[in-house]
Amino acid sequence: MNLANLSLQLLTGLQIGAIYVMIALGLTLIFGTLGVVNFAHGALFMIGAYLGYAISEATGHWVAFIVVPVLLFVIGIAIERVLIRFFYNRPAVDQILVTFGLALVLQELMRWIFGGTNLPYGTPDWAIVPVDIGIGYYPPWRLVIVGVTIAVVGALYLFLRFTRFGLVVRAGMRDPEMLGYLGIDVPKRFTFVFGLGALLAGIAGVIGGPITGVTPDIGMAVLVPSFLVVVIGGMGSLPGAVLSGLLLGEAVSLSVLIYPPSTQIIIYLVAAVVLLWRPRGLLGARGVME
Amino acid sequence: MITPLYAQSLLREGAVMAAVAVALIGLPWFLTAIGGYSELATPIVLWGIFALGFDILIGFTGLLSFGHAAFWGLGSYAAGLMLLRVTDGFIPAVLVGTLVGAVASLLLGYLTLRRRGIYFSILTLAFAEMFYYAALSPLQQWTGGDNGLTGIPPADLCGIAMKGEAIYYVIAVTAFIGIYVARRIMRSPYGLILRAIKSNETRVASTGIDTRRYKLMAFVISGVYAGLAGSLSAVYQTYVPTDALHWTTSGQVVMMAVIGGVGTLFGPMIGAGIVLYLANVLSGVTAQWLLIQGLIFMGFVIFLPGGVVDAGRRLALLLSRRPAPTDKRAAGTVSVHPAQAE
Repeated sequence: MNLANLSLQLLTGLQIGAIYVMIALGLTLIFGTLGVVNFAHGALFMIGAYLGYAISEATGHWVAFIVVPVLLFVIGIAIERVLIRFFYNRPAVDQILVTFGLALVLQELMRWIFGGTNLPYGTPDWAIVPVDIGIGYYPPWRLVIVGVTIAVVGALYLFLRFTRFGLVVRAGMRDPEMLGYLGIDVPKRFTFVFGLGALLAGIAGVIGGPITGVTPDIGMAVLVPSFLVVVIGGMGSLPGAVLSGLLLGEAVSLSVLIYPPSTQIIIYLVAAVVLLWRPRGLLGARGVME
Repeated sequence: MITPLYAQSLLREGAVMAAVAVALIGLPWFLTAIGGYSELATPIVLWGIFALGFDILIGFTGLLSFGHAAFWGLGSYAAGLMLLRVTDGFIPAVLVGTLVGAVASLLLGYLTLRRRGIYFSILTLAFAEMFYYAALSPLQQWTGGDNGLTGIPPADLCGIAMKGEAIYYVIAVTAFIGIYVARRIMRSPYGLILRAIKSNETRVASTGIDTRRYKLMAFVISGVYAGLAGSLSAVYQTYVPTDALHWTTSGQVVMMAVIGGVGTLFGPMIGAGIVLYLANVLSGVTAQWLLIQGLIFMGFVIFLPGGVVDAGRRLALLLSRRPAPTDKRAAGTVSVHPAQAE
């Protein structure tokens, strides 16, 4: 195996990891602030992919890229207002059950509307022909995914680090109760954070759809690895989610070189090793959800 | 020595188990009477065993597993492979299937119980998916990959081929024993500790009890029930679909348990009956049965987290309070399981 081949494979790992990262960031953001594990997060990704397909068919890709995340933001806010809000004071098991139920309902709703088959959600014309990137030819769409993810992670970092709202969100991830005592309207921020998580899932769906395929089952299929990303990174740790997302993405892509049938199960093996060695996750803080 | 209290509890237990026996024998006729068909009784009792074992975990310890498809599915595949390649004996196939479920739950439990609460649900979901993908591709020559395990010969129990009515009664007897064992576990000091863990794990741990070992044991017991039910389903269907390992199977048993009523043992079995009966009746009318099931499930989680059993209990309470205060005990028996009403 030569070096160029290896670097192409590493790049693919980066792209696989990028989608995990974007879903995991939303999951961990919602979990860290609201304390709710959103089993419907994969379904939000799936809706993003479906809307991406439908809107790009009607108006072209650029409109879809802008409109879909905005729509998902609105959908996220609606879900928080109508459903999740009433579960903050219920046991964690109920929160999981209701989001799981929501995931099923959304999945079957999409199956009803669009049918169960994989929809031909293609990339834009300019992204079809592989381009020469110095180490070999590579599909540009995958580069777009990596680029968008870097931009999203950067924007999220700046937002959380340098805005007043970001400060409140970070404080909420540490201690939501104290935040309430300080006179901050916590429920209002919760709504926004849930919307933000849904928006991230929407971005992942609209750019990841052409790679993952657009079927009702895709939601759960991306949710499971993203859960592992969150757990391996450390529950509630945003840098941890980025780090472990990349780790799992590279593990998947490098396992192709070593033993192809193992690609589907490699992430579970990595996760098992990390959990045995460090149950808290790579960057998990002591005392968070122990 | 038989004290009056002990005699009373023996009598009550005897009455409950007699009612269970009558219900199991009468189920095929009952289903025909309410517009189903009698063969539906077999999957209902199969899933009932699965849901019963699941309730020992979630109902007693409060741990919500999304990975029980692994034990059901591995049990199915193991029993199917036994029948296909080793022997056509019913008992060895089911024993091996159950054992595989037990071993798998021990491994998975050891790994996932390192973390509490939310982590546990996520990790069981994830690691169960590992078995699904392993069956699909790397273990293809054993599992038949996408096609599932096909062409399993009918099993043989003392010269009787296990199909049709014969297998229903074998499964019903298994369910009867399963219910008896589960009730014994529930009443034992061991079951008491499990329920104490559900209400306050920290406090139990501070009395010097190693809660993780108790939780692991509960997990393995429920894995045994799942493996047993899974192997019986392989014998019954003479086919193991890959879906046996898919998360939808875990989701199905979760929904049955919640719709029926978690923590009541009989509730999840009733839930299995309701879900499978409705699936059978409604899937003939509409193609969107799964959507309806999801909505029903959400409705229960939002408005009636105690499930059908809790609804029955509340109704009984309401009826006993409303009309005349004379008839309290009679109204109590309206509840689905009198022994649980305490």
